[in-house]
Amino acid sequence: MLRKEQNDLLTQTGPATPFGQMFRCYWVPALLAEELPENECPPVRVKLFSERLLAFRDTDGKYGLIDEFCAHRGVSLWFGRNEESGLRCPYHGWKYDVTGQCIDVPSEAAESGFCKKIKLTSYPLVKIGPVLWTYMGPPDKQPPLPEWEFSLVPPEQCFISKRLQESNWLQAMEGGIDSSHVSFLHRGDLGSDPLFKGAKGNKYNLSDMKPHFEVVEQPGGLYIGARRNAENGNYYWRITPWVMPNFTMIPPRGDHPMHGHFWVPIDDHNCWAWTYDFHPTRALTKDERAAMQAGQGLHCKYVAGSYRPLANKDNDYLMDRAAQKAGKTYSGIAGFAIQDSSLQESMGPVCDRTKENLVSTDNGIIMARHRMLRALKTFTDKGTLPPGVDPEHHKIRSVSIVLPPDQAFKDGARDALTRKLGKAQTTV
Amino acid sequence: MLSESARMTTAEEARYRIDYPNSKPRATKVIALDPASEAVVKRLAQGQWQQASFFTSLKFDGAPRGGEGWTMKAWLSDLAGRTKDLIDEVTSADLVVMVASAGTKPDAAGVIAEACGTRKVMTTALIIGSEASSDEELSKTLASLRPYTSMLVIASNDDYIEEMLVALRA
Ligand code: FES
Ligand SMILES: [Fe+2]
Repeated sequence: MLRKEQNDLLTQTGPATPFGQMFRCYWVPALLAEELPENECPPVRVKLFSERLLAFRDTDGKYGLIDEFCAHRGVSLWFGRNEESGLRCPYHGWKYDVTGQCIDVPSEAAESGFCKKIKLTSYPLVKIGPVLWTYMGPPDKQPPLPEWEFSLVPPEQCFISKRLQESNWLQAMEGGIDSSHVSFLHRGDLGSDPLFKGAKGNKYNLSDMKPHFEVVEQPGGLYIGARRNAENGNYYWRITPWVMPNFTMIPPRGDHPMHGHFWVPIDDHNCWAWTYDFHPTRALTKDERAAMQAGQGLHCKYVAGSYRPLANKDNDYLMDRAAQKAGKTYSGIAGFAIQDSSLQESMGPVCDRTKENLVSTDNGIIMARHRMLRALKTFTDKGTLPPGVDPEHHKIRSVSIVLPPDQAFKDGARDALTRKLGKAQTTV
Repeated sequence: MLSESARMTTAEEARYRIDYPNSKPRATKVIALDPASEAVVKRLAQGQWQQASFFTSLKFDGAPRGGEGWTMKAWLSDLAGRTKDLIDEVTSADLVVMVASAGTKPDAAGVIAEACGTRKVMTTALIIGSEASSDEELSKTLASLRPYTSMLVIASNDDYIEEMLVALRA
């Protein structure tokens, strides 16, 4: 349970909100590079943290993320003409470059220098791998670029997708660190999904349905370890790192690609659920990539021409009661991604946490909230940057491993939990 | 289903969630396993709680397990030092939270967990002070708690216990 004020704090991310200000201290994925495929391509409307923005790629290939609305009389620049190194408003011809600087006001004499006095808010937009990242915090606090492993591997080793989730970001993120739901909600898919099946670890998962949990703090956030019995009194551990505030990496299964999520607020009622898949040492196979493109694994199928899932709240997520009854799926909904989104959206746009009844297995969630509220307090009181901003905190990995019974997984798996570019992951 | 009078939740619809207390208070017993944790638990006990009660197992640390005259009943005392019957306390609990400091080897954990096990009461263990202790010390404490709990939390900050108890409606 959270008190109402605490729930409001963590779920409100608009420009004037305390958590919104802290959240803006991080680089976040803004859009897929494929959304701006070439120079002078059509601009894309982007809403992030309750701010309406416009992303575009100019004549020289420079990316910009600027205020959506023209400073003259407020027209959406989405209608703009992307030409000659800038975006020109079609109403009266005012023109802006990728930094939001107005570079032409046709009605005024060029010599007057009037256009220099007009500037739209803009944020950096940087391509790293297949993703365009932005930073919306104070310019003087801009941290170095993010160093997540999935974004640094060669393109043939990575696949990334995003889907619209019609709920607040926090309930989506909490679903990602809620390790006890996997044995229920997703149980039907572990053995059948092409991106999961066949791993030795699955055997431990399915033979021990009551895992024990350990929640351990780490500098950037948490490790959430779930252990099950393995052979000879050893434990099979699945260790999920959570890096503040919105990154997780799911423990690997066999040699399948590794994967995880980012959740980014669009506004307080919607977020982007980003899903990455990558293999640290090899290209994704044709079959793996095809499965991901087809919406398997943690990805999904879309309504044509959009990033909204095909199974969404308007069609009851294609609920299949027969599959539910037969046990083919536990909830009647197909696929990991929509199993999660359907239930998380059903909580309402902003989950009312004053009504929940948490139990001890929810300690991962309780601790994550605690870490964020604690960081928010020192951020607000002293201006201390929160954990997860420093790229050092990005150099982590999830792990699945068998360890002796009395070993702290933080020690036993210390090396395995550290990102090592080009080196194989530790997996069972 | 077209016959349903409500569809998937929207912002507008969320207002219609019925407003009432959907749970009864749960009894949480918090047990300190060493002197440093006892200080933390004593401080916690000052707060306002629905149905949490606070104990220590310190008096019985080092007491022999088994043998003549051994009983599972002793092992617990309230914060004023009065001996409490472990079995009684566990029987009336919904959750037992054990608190230990990194570096200690809490003997009582096994006895308490055994009592919880026979009564099918959930246990959670919290290790505090991990920041200031070495990996070795931490492992020692971990090893003596891990077999006995389904949820173990290693917290860098003592405040966490309070946050957790509030979150669990203790
Ligand atoms: S059982 Fe967890 S939300 Fe219903
Ligand atoms: Fe899930």
